[in-house]
Amino acid sequence: MEAPLTSAPSSPRGKIVAQAEELYRDLSFGAVRRWKAAEPGRKALGYLPVYAPLELIRAAGMLPVGIVGGGDMEVVRGDACYQSYICRIPRSTIELGLNGALDCLDGMLFPSTCDVIRNLSGMWRMMFEGRYVRYLDLPQNFDPAVGGVFFAHELRALAKDLESLGGRPVTDAALREAIAVYNENRAAIRELYDVRAREPWRVPASELYLVMRAGNVLPAEEHTELVRAYLAAARAEDRRLQDTARVVIRGCFCEQPPVDLLRTLERSGCSVVDDDWLLALRWFDADVPTEGDPLDQLVRAFLSRSPACPSLYLRQGKKGDALLERVRETAAEGVVFAAPSFCDPALLEQPMLLNAVKAQKVPCTAFQFAENTGQFQVIREQAGAFADSIRLA
Amino acid sequence: MILTAGIDVGSSAVKSVLVRHGDEGVEILGRRMDRLRHRDPADVAREGWNALLAATGTRAEDVGYIATTGEGERVEFRTGHFYGMTAHARGGAFLVPGAAAVLDVGALHCRAIVVDAGGRVQRYRMTSQCASGSGQFIENIGRYLGVALEEVGSLSLESDAPEKCSSICAVLAETDVINMVSRGIKTANILKGIHLSMAGRFVKLLEAADAEGLVALSGGLAADVGLTAALGEEARRSGTRLEFVSHPDAVYAGAIGSALWAKYRLDKLARLVPASAAGG
Repeated sequence: MEAPLTSAPSSPRGKIVAQAEELYRDLSFGAVRRWKAAEPGRKALGYLPVYAPLELIRAAGMLPVGIVGGGDMEVVRGDACYQSYICRIPRSTIELGLNGALDCLDGMLFPSTCDVIRNLSGMWRMMFEGRYVRYLDLPQNFDPAVGGVFFAHELRALAKDLESLGGRPVTDAALREAIAVYNENRAAIRELYDVRAREPWRVPASELYLVMRAGNVLPAEEHTELVRAYLAAARAEDRRLQDTARVVIRGCFCEQPPVDLLRTLERSGCSVVDDDWLLALRWFDADVPTEGDPLDQLVRAFLSRSPACPSLYLRQGKKGDALLERVRETAAEGVVFAAPSFCDPALLEQPMLLNAVKAQKVPCTAFQFAENTGQFQVIREQAGAFADSIRLA
Repeated sequence: MILTAGIDVGSSAVKSVLVRHGDEGVEILGRRMDRLRHRDPADVAREGWNALLAATGTRAEDVGYIATTGEGERVEFRTGHFYGMTAHARGGAFLVPGAAAVLDVGALHCRAIVVDAGGRVQRYRMTSQCASGSGQFIENIGRYLGVALEEVGSLSLESDAPEKCSSICAVLAETDVINMVSRGIKTANILKGIHLSMAGRFVKLLEAADAEGLVALSGGLAADVGLTAALGEEARRSGTRLEFVSHPDAVYAGAIGSALWAKYRLDKLARLVPASAAGG
């Protein structure tokens, strides 16, 4: 029932959002360069969607840097590498690599998200010889005796790689400290999402996205501080309650929606109360225990606390159930399926999710976008009609 | 007694209405139209709203719901925003009781909307993004011919030998008009010809939407009596059962529709609030 208004840039909240937007627009990753320059010898490791063991990277003394494409940047050389029926994120990522924007990274992780990202890891190895590249295989079997053993092996291999890359030894103590820091970060993010679900007019989707996105380039403790500062400012600011349709958005787990698309949804009468973007920053829905073997704890958390992400194979019906559960938890009135064009995982599971929400008579609508979509008139019309169909039913 | 407001931010003007909902029915307390003239629509909307409040002697805090439509998403003092088609459908059906369809002809587009008895959209068709067949087109032609927008309709009615445009493209149609002027065609016949060309397109749009019966006009061109007459002629010529009615408040249909939906939402929210409060 609520919708956002844009913060005045001079307000405390406006200043925080402006700071986050500056990080978002900086495609040369100045924040990462500054972090590295502050202490000689520091290393940074890039990771693509959808999941990376951030704790492990931190424990190795490195800064994990989320790479989610180039937004609306001009892509020329990246386009030359892909057919027209491939999504845009690999093209713009290659463009970022070729134009030197990613020179600040000492290596890249390519998690098993889809065939395109997997192939991108191979192309990266060929195009950027001498740089560390790893394809991170994630378990699709969630039995601890099978997927657990496999994933623990994968993480140990990664830890060894990072140590030899020039990080520091990944000790249990360092890993526990990293888990604690990321638990703090995820707790702040959970609070941000909870406040947004309760009072979306206080936390517009476009602002939440920018504040979250800062977590891709900031050290975890700095991001936690930013999220908490934003929350405090959002609570303190007196915002006019708006009558909008509460919607859950799904499909943006890898290639990211343009911020103007989110603003378009909001202005059309939709309040986003839950989403699936930037999942790596909030992969676990609860704290990871710091007791016991920390690497085993990360493995257990992955097996039991991973989200119903399109890149994971879950038993039939589980993803639909998970979506409906979020609809209930957030008191959403509808679901917006917004998938990037040519995104196999999101578009393949969409029919199943559509069936699940339709069976429960939850209103839904679907459209596609690309990270560089610049014209939103059609989406505006569709979202406006969708919001009205919910509110005026 | 409940007050609601509707603010329709269009491509060339902002229309604002204040509506009273009481036991005796719905009453439009005030209406106001402010041309944008290259100003920020949000500023124009704010100024128009303040002027409307002053003109009706109403305090802003007494208005239960301020609904915007059209390009009104940037009006920060709104309570809610409704999609333009939803608002025009409701407003058109309110102004012309019994209307089975609403033809919304604005500055930049035209929509043929089939509605139910409650003014809800059933189906629709709209023109593509082209300035022909729109208010902006008529305004441009009027400027070339030295005719004020308000005079276009009545002048068109004086036509005795209308000269139809050969094209539906605004750019080419404007070339047509220049040729007509150089051929000495009377202004009234040029205007009537343009009205007939536009009307033919709109009737086809209504046919495509399976519209039949009474059609309420809304949007800026609803006040153009020449277009209303041309629509009737084109409907008869094509053998469709369409009858066009333009209410004097038709230009405010979007604003009125959003003010009416505002009352609907107020009632609905009043029913939802106890449940929400219980849920924390």
